[in-house]
Amino acid sequence: MGFFSKFRKKSPWILHYNTGGCNGCDIEILSALAPRYDIERFGMLNRGNPKQADILLVTGPVTKNCKDVLRRLYLEMAEPKVVVAMGACAHGGGIFRDFYHVENGVNNIIPVDVWIPGCAPRVEALIDGMVEAIEIWQQKSKEKEYLRDHENIIKTLGVEDDD
Amino acid sequence: MGKIVVPFGSQHVALPEPISFLFDTENEIITKVEAHIGYVHRGIEKAAITRFEYNQLPYLTARVCGLCSITHAGAVVHGIEKLMDIEVNKRIDYLRMLVVELDRIHSHMLANGHVAEVVGYENLFMQTFRAREDVMDVLERITGNRVQYDYQTIGGVARDIDLETAEFAKKKLKKLKENVLKVMEFHDSDYTFGLKTKGVGVISKEMAAKYNTAGPIARASGLETDVRAEFDYLPFEEVGYKMQTRKEGDVWARNMVRFDEVLNSIEMCENILDNLPQGEHQVKVKGRPKGETVVRVEAPRGECFYYLKASGKKVMDRVRIRVPTYANIPILKELFLGAKYSDAQAIVLSFDPCMSCTAR
Repeated sequence: MGFFSKFRKKSPWILHYNTGGCNGCDIEILSALAPRYDIERFGMLNRGNPKQADILLVTGPVTKNCKDVLRRLYLEMAEPKVVVAMGACAHGGGIFRDFYHVENGVNNIIPVDVWIPGCAPRVEALIDGMVEAIEIWQQKSKEKEYLRDHENIIKTLGVEDDD
Repeated sequence: MGKIVVPFGSQHVALPEPISFLFDTENEIITKVEAHIGYVHRGIEKAAITRFEYNQLPYLTARVCGLCSITHAGAVVHGIEKLMDIEVNKRIDYLRMLVVELDRIHSHMLANGHVAEVVGYENLFMQTFRAREDVMDVLERITGNRVQYDYQTIGGVARDIDLETAEFAKKKLKKLKENVLKVMEFHDSDYTFGLKTKGVGVISKEMAAKYNTAGPIARASGLETDVRAEFDYLPFEEVGYKMQTRKEGDVWARNMVRFDEVLNSIEMCENILDNLPQGEHQVKVKGRPKGETVVRVEAPRGECFYYLKASGKKVMDRVRIRVPTYANIPILKELFLGAKYSDAQAIVLSFDPCMSCTAR
């Protein structure tokens, strides 16, 4: 583990993006920032900047319009990064599965590490998922796993000719 | 000074909602706006007439918007009950009204907290959200979930309320009222908060009428429009509903109207809990919907309109949804012209934007 990773695990920053869900998960994320649940005691801050974020928290079934934004956010984040998919519709579409403007889940666009089920998940479930995400994130930064599968990921994202 | 184009959203640091604006600015004054609102379009109206049966519709339309899920489900339930000639008893009406009003409280508190955060008052955001958790507790106890309730079903409600829950709710609402008054007092008296919100994004009464605004945005400009008073779908007048209006029409007035409504809703909820009629929480349902009808309900953000058409089959012929947030987009664009770029965030969030219903 590098010098910075040691401190970074105490403050993983979150990037939250709604890709077409019903906003139910998003207001639960807001509740998680508020005093009752206070996700900041794990050092987590919700920051909108992908360049500084460690965890990408995605809600919603990924609409065709949001697809490119989501992919760009994922590519802009620095390694190591963890993707958390929240809510039933992020898991393969949920109630929105096979609608004409929906891509059926986050997994079809970017690789997902942690799944948080429920419609909408409780805030406790969200916190549990985030703690799990930190563990996976630590594992990744130890193993440097992200270098191994790099070519395959670029292929699935469809960005071979993208600088 | 030349023209500078500033993008704002989607996935901007300052705007959590998936909507994007392109501002042309000159010396920080916005001269032209382009809005893209289709980021979260899913095609719910199409799916409602192809993939789902009429008794599954409340669960689908609840997912139009997480914040006002109960009003969307309630509108469909009311419309289908009209088409099927179902008469529900008083207790069901009262229970539906209770959850609708509790939902309004939590949505308004969220909007106000959000505005407080973007004008630089993070502590006020935290206080508002701390107060909001009380109403979430009540909702969870009554319906079983914090956000997506799925409480209203065709011909009744999903579960009944017992005496213990009613006592719990009354206790929590009393505490909530004290907290709301505290936060409201701060809104009223704080000088710096006033500088950021008073006189920003002013809508006059004529403008509000001309652009056909809905909900708290119209009422903050003195326009008296509320579907709870205009359309007869639940007996709101019986439990002490009063229309709340303000005259200023700025960001501050929109916040205050929401707080006024929260206080009114708390009063209504207390009245409902005190005078809950006896009866079953579900009535028998027979037959299939036939004919066409329109339903208007008051969502937390304004008038929500449904047009339903059925011809006795399992699947409906047409489900048309018109949401208040979409109706408020044109005036939002007008407000930006001539405003400072630094005020843009407060103006957007004072409209309580919810892109999930705007694009559906």
